[in-house]
Amino acid sequence: MGNKQTIFTDEQLDAYQDCTFFTRKEILRIHGRYHELAPHLVPMDYTNEPDVTLPLALIVNMPELKENPFKNRIVESFSEDGLGNQSFNDFVDMFSVLSEMAPRELKAIYAFKIYDFNTDNYICKEDLEKTLNKLTKEELSAEEVNLVCEKSIVEADLDGDNKLSFADFENMIARAPDFLSTFHIRI
Amino acid sequence: MSLFPGGGVALGKLGLTEEDIMDEIESGKRDLVKELVAMSSREQIQAIRVLPMCLEDKKHIRSQVHDSKLSKHGLQLTCFTDCSEQVSRSFRRCGANVVSARQAMKLWQGTMKEVGGKFGTSVLSYFIFLKWLLMFNVFSFLINFGFVTVPQLIQPPNKTAAVGFRGLELLTGAGYFNQTVLYYGGYSNGTIGNEPVYDMQLAYFFTIAAYLVLCAVSLIYSVARSFQKNFVLSTTGSAWRLLCSWDFSITSEKAIRQRKNNLRVQLKESLSERSQRAHISTSAKLKQFGIHLGTWLISTALALASCAAIYYLGLYNLEVIKDSQDSISLLTEASTLLLPFVVSLINLIIPLLYSLINKTEKYSNPRTQIYVIILRNVFLKMGILGILCYYWMYNVPTTISCWESFIGQDLYRLVIIDFIFSMLESFFGEFLHNVIGTRCLPSLGVPEFDIARNVLDLIYAQTLAWIGIYFSPLLPLIQMIKLFLMFYLKKVSLNQNCQPPRRSGRAAQMQTIFIALLFFPSFVGALSMVAYTVWSLKPSEHCGPFQGLNITFEAVALWMDRQGSVSESMWPVWIYNNVIKSELFFYLISLIILVLIFFFWQITQGRKLLITLLREQIVNEGKDKAFLLDKLQKLQKEKQTTASSQRPYRQIPQSFDRRQEIEPDYDQDFEDLPGRPLPEEDTGPVGPPFTSALIQAMMARRQAEEEEEEGY
Repeated sequence: MGNKQTIFTDEQLDAYQDCTFFTRKEILRIHGRYHELAPHLVPMDYTNEPDVTLPLALIVNMPELKENPFKNRIVESFSEDGLGNQSFNDFVDMFSVLSEMAPRELKAIYAFKIYDFNTDNYICKEDLEKTLNKLTKEELSAEEVNLVCEKSIVEADLDGDNKLSFADFENMIARAPDFLSTFHIRI
Repeated sequence: MSLFPGGGVALGKLGLTEEDIMDEIESGKRDLVKELVAMSSREQIQAIRVLPMCLEDKKHIRSQVHDSKLSKHGLQLTCFTDCSEQVSRSFRRCGANVVSARQAMKLWQGTMKEVGGKFGTSVLSYFIFLKWLLMFNVFSFLINFGFVTVPQLIQPPNKTAAVGFRGLELLTGAGYFNQTVLYYGGYSNGTIGNEPVYDMQLAYFFTIAAYLVLCAVSLIYSVARSFQKNFVLSTTGSAWRLLCSWDFSITSEKAIRQRKNNLRVQLKESLSERSQRAHISTSAKLKQFGIHLGTWLISTALALASCAAIYYLGLYNLEVIKDSQDSISLLTEASTLLLPFVVSLINLIIPLLYSLINKTEKYSNPRTQIYVIILRNVFLKMGILGILCYYWMYNVPTTISCWESFIGQDLYRLVIIDFIFSMLESFFGEFLHNVIGTRCLPSLGVPEFDIARNVLDLIYAQTLAWIGIYFSPLLPLIQMIKLFLMFYLKKVSLNQNCQPPRRSGRAAQMQTIFIALLFFPSFVGALSMVAYTVWSLKPSEHCGPFQGLNITFEAVALWMDRQGSVSESMWPVWIYNNVIKSELFFYLISLIILVLIFFFWQITQGRKLLITLLREQIVNEGKDKAFLLDKLQKLQKEKQTTASSQRPYRQIPQSFDRRQEIEPDYDQDFEDLPGRPLPEEDTGPVGPPFTSALIQAMMARRQAEEEEEEGY
């Protein structure tokens, strides 16, 4: 069917198609984007599954991520080692979850990961402060930052442990209908 | 390898060895694979896609599922299962190819991405709305053209001497176009072909009825879906703003800077809101009430005045046309453009006046301000359309002979002039505003794309198109071309002149409101007008497919009679006589629907109660958890003091060390505690819930083990 490409075997493409929200064409296109980030590092032939990872610095320079305040956290959350070095699988996974076809629950899990700066499975006050600083370019005074974070925790924390667990976060997402369309990066 | 980063780490904090952790994770995976094998292929794929694991793990699980499925059917009929596997796989590949082909053909994908990247989701919603309306018109044009126009073109009716093409027709739609298939008058009431016979009357009626019914179904479905998704109780607040409101799809640096500024301002406002929850004195309140009342009166007065003006202009227009019925000079034809010109002018100027008036009012909630503006504009536009419909229904049929074509021409003119005015509006509203704002008056600033006004314009234009389907079957083609050009016009104007919106608005709620507006006054109004025409007005005597009948619907009645006499197919006749003509049926249906609505409303009330109860329960659980952890901490401390007085038991410090190896920066608060909440390995798309019950169980088990060991 169609033109023969030699980047992936058919089984590999089937696997990608079944495990992500992308079609074959999109996967090949994404491979092209991955390749152009580092043409000398990324082989064009992936049939024998080479073990190539690209560092964080290369990936956050993509036009889709370059201006995003959370670009580092996004890439780190989707990397196996947690430091932002992404293999092609991680790369595809990232854009698959951020695409418009991913369901709300899956996006909520990864959004929680992204906002959890210290990866302790809770969004505590320090995480909120870091989020706020990234979103406002540190132009709020320390007192204001403190107040806003406290207010957020009071609003969203349901079980009273002074930090947001995943359940609290998900409850908040469920009441924000815009989330599906805002947590979305087109590639 | 776990569902959450640190899931295995959390297990380690409980004092379990690494092998135990691995065992737990493996057994979780085995359960997951078992569950997946039990599902059908499509559900499997959907479930795998939604797993929150990294891609390698998902591929691993997928291959495990395949293997276990094969081994299940293993011995019996391997050839058959092989073939069926191949077949299903090739079907899936075909399906995926179809999906990707459809995506490639999707109109304007690249442009949407660009607009979304630079201006955000709310501006993008305008373009998505435009594309959706375009689809309606494409569908309408295709079925009208296919079922009504093409048969007519095959066998055109006898035409009276046609006027030559004069060029003004493109604007006025009259003259040369008068006798063509563009309008109702260009269709005959006869039949086409010999065997089988294609009845133009029935074709005309049923095509339009089918299209309107499909539109209604599609709109109702969209409104319901949109309402369900977007009108969930949403709150504003710092938490929402901080965590849910950032638009990840914006890629332009300027837009992001704007958004950041905007967010900062909003946060500052919300912080100072507490002190500003002002004590407004009664006199100030009264003054505000007076201002509101005044503005509402002024806007209603403006709307009524414009409606009256349009009505009298229409009557005057009718006089002019009636007088020169036979020899239509160029000047008379041009004078028919006066009415649409005035309508579009009103549509342009009065909303501007409304926004000016709105600036003098003060609303506590910025969203109320937008709603008020939308409401006033809707009143204006629907008032204008209403008065035009009244004029068309009552005054035109008695005065003009081929009145349906006349109405069709009126609508054509309205659509074309509306388009010209939209172009002018873009030019003056946005381009000049931009030029003045950047060069002459910097205080005015660069314009923002006014989503509400533009969407309401689209809704108004679509209402005209829907009204016009009956009178001018090819009007959807004009509307299609117009929407197509509008897209590019607005895109260019947006890129050149506008800045990204400052307020990050509630795009989803606005979207619901716009779809609801498209259904309720717009489509329902158009439908009622067409229904009234079909059921109550006498069609014109000498032109069109329904000439000579008393009402249009009579065509169906006569057809039913003919069918009844032929007595070949009894059931359509039976349905017609007992279902459509009988009133009892409609009473019964209405009663049943009302009862169902009442039941659903009660269910909703019950669910609301349940939600509050569950919320309370969550709070209580949290308190329980804190209390139990506290108690455990105390007990643990006691145990340690008693244990240190005896021989220290080796196992405990070792497990602490092990834990330290795995995760050195552990939360200091619970350092002595042998465990923090354990993630439950859930098979499914949800993250791990931290249950206090599980902690208790693990604690109790450990206590029991320790006591056992100590006892020996």
